[in-house]
Amino acid sequence: MKTNFLNLNSMKTSKLFIVAIFCLTLIISCSDDDDNPAPVNPTELFTNVTLTFTPSNGANATVVMEDIQPNGQGGGGATSNTVTGAFVSGETYTLTLAATDASDPNDVDDLLNDDVIPEADEHFFVYGLNTLNFTMTRDANDVVGLDGNKIGVNTTWVAGAASTGNLSITLVHEATAVDEAANNNLGSATGGEEDFNITFTNVSIN
Amino acid sequence: MKQIILLISLFTTFFTVAQDCNHVFLGEVSDYHDKTPIIGATVYIKNLDKYTTSDADGKFKIKNLCKGQLTLVISHISCETKTVSYDITGDTFKPIALEHHIEELGEVSVKADATKRETSTAQEATIDSKTLRRYNNLSIGDALEEISGVSSIKTGNSIVKPVINGLHSSRILIMNNGVRLQDQEWGVEHAPNIDINAANQLTVIKGSGALRYGGDAIGGVVVVKPSRIIVKDTLYGRTIFGGQTNGRGYNIASNLNKNYSSGWFGHVQGSYRRSGDFQAPDYILSNTGLESLGISTRFGKKTFESGFEMYYSFLNNEIGILRAAHIGNLLDFERAINAGRPLRIEDFTYDINVPKQGVTHHLAKVNYYKRFQNFGKVSLQYDYQNNRRQEFDVRVGERRNIPAVDLILQTHSILADVNLDSNLDRKYNLGLLGRYQNNFADPDTGVRRIIPDYDKYDFGVYATTEWLIDDDLIVDAGIRYDFNRIDAKKFYRTSRWLDSGYDIDFNDIIVGSVLSGEVQEGTIDFSLPELLANPIFNYHNFSASIGGKYSIDDNNKVMLNFSHASRPPNASELFSDGLHHALARFEIGDIRFNKEIANRISASYNYTNSKFNFLAEVFYNRVNDYIFLRPDNSDLSTRGYFAVWIYEQTNAELFGIDINATYDVTPNFQYQHKSAFIKGNDLKTDLPLIDIPPFNTTNQIRYYNEKWNNFSASLKSEWVFEQNEFPDFNYQVTNQLTGEEFTIDISSPPPAYHLLHFYSDATFNFKGKTSLNVAFGVNNIFNASYRNYLNGLRFFADDIGRNFTLQLQLNY
Repeated sequence: MKTNFLNLNSMKTSKLFIVAIFCLTLIISCSDDDDNPAPVNPTELFTNVTLTFTPSNGANATVVMEDIQPNGQGGGGATSNTVTGAFVSGETYTLTLAATDASDPNDVDDLLNDDVIPEADEHFFVYGLNTLNFTMTRDANDVVGLDGNKIGVNTTWVAGAASTGNLSITLVHEATAVDEAANNNLGSATGGEEDFNITFTNVSIN
Repeated sequence: MKQIILLISLFTTFFTVAQDCNHVFLGEVSDYHDKTPIIGATVYIKNLDKYTTSDADGKFKIKNLCKGQLTLVISHISCETKTVSYDITGDTFKPIALEHHIEELGEVSVKADATKRETSTAQEATIDSKTLRRYNNLSIGDALEEISGVSSIKTGNSIVKPVINGLHSSRILIMNNGVRLQDQEWGVEHAPNIDINAANQLTVIKGSGALRYGGDAIGGVVVVKPSRIIVKDTLYGRTIFGGQTNGRGYNIASNLNKNYSSGWFGHVQGSYRRSGDFQAPDYILSNTGLESLGISTRFGKKTFESGFEMYYSFLNNEIGILRAAHIGNLLDFERAINAGRPLRIEDFTYDINVPKQGVTHHLAKVNYYKRFQNFGKVSLQYDYQNNRRQEFDVRVGERRNIPAVDLILQTHSILADVNLDSNLDRKYNLGLLGRYQNNFADPDTGVRRIIPDYDKYDFGVYATTEWLIDDDLIVDAGIRYDFNRIDAKKFYRTSRWLDSGYDIDFNDIIVGSVLSGEVQEGTIDFSLPELLANPIFNYHNFSASIGGKYSIDDNNKVMLNFSHASRPPNASELFSDGLHHALARFEIGDIRFNKEIANRISASYNYTNSKFNFLAEVFYNRVNDYIFLRPDNSDLSTRGYFAVWIYEQTNAELFGIDINATYDVTPNFQYQHKSAFIKGNDLKTDLPLIDIPPFNTTNQIRYYNEKWNNFSASLKSEWVFEQNEFPDFNYQVTNQLTGEEFTIDISSPPPAYHLLHFYSDATFNFKGKTSLNVAFGVNNIFNASYRNYLNGLRFFADDIGRNFTLQLQLNY
């Protein structure tokens, strides 16, 4: 009869339901495991950026600027920012860049050659000078990027009058427009974001 | 005259019926729940085509019955009509139970708007199906703004999260068809994963009064319900086509419902929405397109005495994030602010590029209920949710196709609920909840996890009651206890561990340091860059609520409610430690956080007459150990300056008033007003709280004429003031090259704005049940440029400009 609310059908359903829930609880409680998760190997961290200025006259010293941040953009850790050597007024220097991810010392990634140069049209180096006298040019063999602009991997620097100040290097990613000739070839970029922006202080030209 | 007819009819009966027709049937009609007799129920004797009614004891008598089947149709005002058949072999007595509060079944005709309240005394508002359909091309968060006191916190215009009386994210609990949504709701740019097309009704309960849903809803509860199940033989559906000029968007949604009078039902629903880049008045908002697909289906059986439902829903969203909002460091941020417009504006496209987010959400549930006479209703439910969240960042080389964030959150819940309603004046509701949750953060992203892997266990028990003291006074109360346990496996950079001072109290939870990509269990070496910790935290939470509703007379009503709620810190607040690439900011949590405890008192006054309806709601919410994210300072790294945002714990107070009024100027003209004013203070620092919605007021006039195919047209003015009370978290940053100092202004709110919207619709009825509703709207008629304080992208671009919308809705 329809009015009998304790009908067989619904009894079956309810029993089935309880059994189903019970099974699920078992599955849930058994699927727990105590394994440790795998550590993440962070990629695309610019941990080590080195600028090596080699003089054309071998008698003068090579100037090396090195910035190390073991955690990359994360900050912290044993960071260092050093300038070794001094420029000599009138001397011409060839700049060699290195940018690596050394967060895993056993597996150092060469970000400059593996990522930046192959995707030259998305990358551009902007240099900055403050109270330092340099004449900088982007070399003929420099890598060409967005709209035919040289991205600034291969550059030549002529030290001017004696001075002390700061030098900065900025890697801009996915700029909308770049200009290699702006600011006396130091370059400028609009749009995009900075992959790194490093300033070296107390650079001197003697 | 009457007597004569009666006599004749008696005569005819006597002579036409030849055999033994002298049996008596005695029936007793009573309420299903409490067995009280139902007086004056109409009893229709089908065989005889005669009527009788039940007496003061609920009894009725039918004499002179013949052998054979007797069919009775018993009905009573506000009762479910019941048809019963009996075999008459002699004098018979039968008790007949009627369901006396039909609204429980939702069997009132589809047209009726009779909405059942979720609570008796909390501040609550509902958006009905008709209003909801206007938001088919938008989101749940947009629709909820219809309710005064509810605003939204946004990332662009497609990622919209509700803010209830100044609180959002983990402080708002969202119930989707009886299932608590678990979808990484801690993040501001994580919008609720609910397809608005699958919803038929939205209810907002301000504050934590609805204890059966959870004890941690310090902000409130949003209850999303699918369409009601109609227990009759019917097949109906609806198909919606929509188009929008801004973003050149289009959407289609369709549903089909088959119901049987036996209680069986089956529903399917699907929706698809696509939009390209949206447009601000002066420029294209590049990379703001979206694509969304939602499917849901349910089937089951629903009768008064028992029923079950199986429900499954799927939602996949892919949403682009304004390209210009992706910044590398604070210098980029400063340039973006100074430019006043996005630094990257490209041609319109439907393509969604990085940065973008993709979220897939599966929800499956099965529930069963059974009603016991003279007792109440028992329900059991199991549900499972699988939420996968991927955030794609601007990356180099092949990594651009690898998400920077890739999280899978799985949740299982079991719920048992007993509703004792045999005495309608004293209702009790008891329940138990068990929940297990697992979060998995994929290490293949190549980006340190912002949220760690964890297991979470919840256990809850609650009891609520509702007392009808007399016709004018209802009192309700409830208590709830929740136990939460979070067991995480988290990698810390050793420098962060030391900077946070965790080495003082928490070295015992370190599993081991990491050497060459391997966890060295038991080894703690702070000279190694990374370590793995296993924090396990337990939280005991008590919550309670008490309230009353008093009807002073037919026009005036007052409500008072007090609720106490407690919320444990979420995984982000405890463990967050990572870079939000798109926002160039570090977010840092703290494992020392206590649970938040809120005490909220609210009072409402409602005046109604046939033309005028006025509702004022005031509240005061005091939250101890309130956790919030704030800009702290900047961190210098190879990439330049990053903004560092830290989670902080303080004592806070929030208070405000929400006003709602409607006035029928004429039967065709209606005026509607709503406004919300809220203030939030940090009681430790005496600063205002961050991200508190400014005062806003909405005024609308509406013309409606039923004779012109239900034509309606409305003009709505939305006025949002400037937030003058904000904490100044600006800080100074030095340009390393030049030594120049400049201020990063991340605190100043944008100026006030005023928008005007138009909406109009008409419904054309065709043969049978088929009707076509045509709706046309213009949002932001004057194409005003504006920015909203609660929009994360306000630093980079204006909000969207004028938008013409057209929607065709075919009901069949």
